[in-house]
Amino acid sequence: MFHWLEKHPFFLAVGVFLVISFAGLVEILPNFAQQSRPVIGTAPYSTLELAGRHVYIKNSCNACHSQLVRPFKSETDRYGHYSLSGEYAYDRPFLWGSKRTGPDLMRVGNYRTTDWHENHMKDPSGVVPGSIMPAYRWMFTNSADIDTAFAEQLTIAQFFSVPYNKPVPMKDGSTTVVKMGSSVAEANALALSEAKVIAADMKDQDVKDAVANGNIPEIVALIAYLNSLK
Amino acid sequence: MNKLYLWGIIITVLMLVFTYMSVAGSEGGLNNDIVNILAITGAVALVIITVFVVIKYVRQMQVDSVTGDLADENWDGIGEYTNEVPTGWAVTFLLTMVWGMWYFTVGYPINSYSQIGEYNEDTVAHNTKFEAQYKDITGDRLIEMGESVFLAECKVCHGINADGIDGKAANLNQRIEAVSVKYVIANGANNMKTDFPGGMPPMMLTDSAQIDAVADYIVSGFPEGHAGVEAFLMGGCTGCHGEKGEGMPFVGPKLNGFDIATVTSILKDGKKGAIGTMPKFERLNPKQIEAVGAYITSLSK
Repeated sequence: MFHWLEKHPFFLAVGVFLVISFAGLVEILPNFAQQSRPVIGTAPYSTLELAGRHVYIKNSCNACHSQLVRPFKSETDRYGHYSLSGEYAYDRPFLWGSKRTGPDLMRVGNYRTTDWHENHMKDPSGVVPGSIMPAYRWMFTNSADIDTAFAEQLTIAQFFSVPYNKPVPMKDGSTTVVKMGSSVAEANALALSEAKVIAADMKDQDVKDAVANGNIPEIVALIAYLNSLK
Repeated sequence: MNKLYLWGIIITVLMLVFTYMSVAGSEGGLNNDIVNILAITGAVALVIITVFVVIKYVRQMQVDSVTGDLADENWDGIGEYTNEVPTGWAVTFLLTMVWGMWYFTVGYPINSYSQIGEYNEDTVAHNTKFEAQYKDITGDRLIEMGESVFLAECKVCHGINADGIDGKAANLNQRIEAVSVKYVIANGANNMKTDFPGGMPPMMLTDSAQIDAVADYIVSGFPEGHAGVEAFLMGGCTGCHGEKGEGMPFVGPKLNGFDIATVTSILKDGKKGAIGTMPKFERLNPKQIEAVGAYITSLSK
């Protein structure tokens, strides 16, 4: 049988094609399953949250913090419901991480708040005695890059049909609309209005002043992102 | 004798000596420990088998000659023998294919392992055990449980001593701080909406002297004859919080100290006030919430 196949390259190629196609189907088909669609309650990131995500990636938060809750009782007790693949639908790339030097952050928005993040990013060991996390003080002075976040929004809305400005179903049956500006100026204005809500809960006067003057420090964007992780 | 065998014996002896020196001859030695003896036996067996196998194949390469017929076809001069497939190998191969088909169609789909299923079973088993074990605990044991929950969930913001880490969160060693009282009087309160759906209107008092007096009255624990009694009455505080701040169900929370119900209300909805925002803690089970309540109540007693 194999001698015959070896002597007929065309049929050998057909056989190879069949085998690889089958393996491909097994790999690719599950991605179209319902479980891989966005989970109800998962909304795309707003401009400010996306800018915060960039800050998160830029500072390599994912090197120490995972975003993946595994289905073990010990993990769900600590971090909340285990992660579902559809929850990462708007993460490009996902930030699962591979190592937990610090705790998982998949649902940190459920159990930490703006003022805690502010204290913690300024002086981690001040709130968590013995913490080895470094302080990230420059985030309080560096400006967040809203323009790049907006550029990413435009791209993913166009190429991946991420539903900006469209109703997204939420868990309680209602819908929410994540707005995306139609111009750079509008995007900046949207981000600033979000930033004002965050800054109102913060204590640092310099950050409050910066936001009042229309400038968004990185910490505000980062907190917006962390609060959105639920 | 063939040179190959000579080398084999030399290498075997050398490796055995090395093994002896590094294990049995070292300090501590075999120590009559069954694991050590097993390990050294394995090491000796490995040395001998390795040398034997190497000699066998090197020897085969030296003396073996080609046997069997070549197949008709060849590729640029590279041919292939027409030797039969070994029976054992062929049978195993076919059986593997049959098993593979069975596993794809029946074995896995019908009897598949599910991680989520195992998780669900674990959770149910844990919850049942938890309930059975802690159903009736009270008093000190409840407080003890509350402390351990507190250390796992609450200390990150409130600190190990529940002192709020220099004003970064509420100091739980007292019911309420003056700064919070003043903030609530000025801004009203919309906390604990599940248990106290009405909320509290802002600006019930506007005179700063009166506000200070009320704050001090509440913080110092509603003492008799305090200067704030009158203002407390005038601001309408008693209408919802009771004359001595003992609270009223569905109307106003207790102010003269913590109790389990107050802590439960706060954990249910979270809180936002002068100090900052506290998230709600839905993931604690009712017993844990009761325990935290008992622990926090015990702190200010």
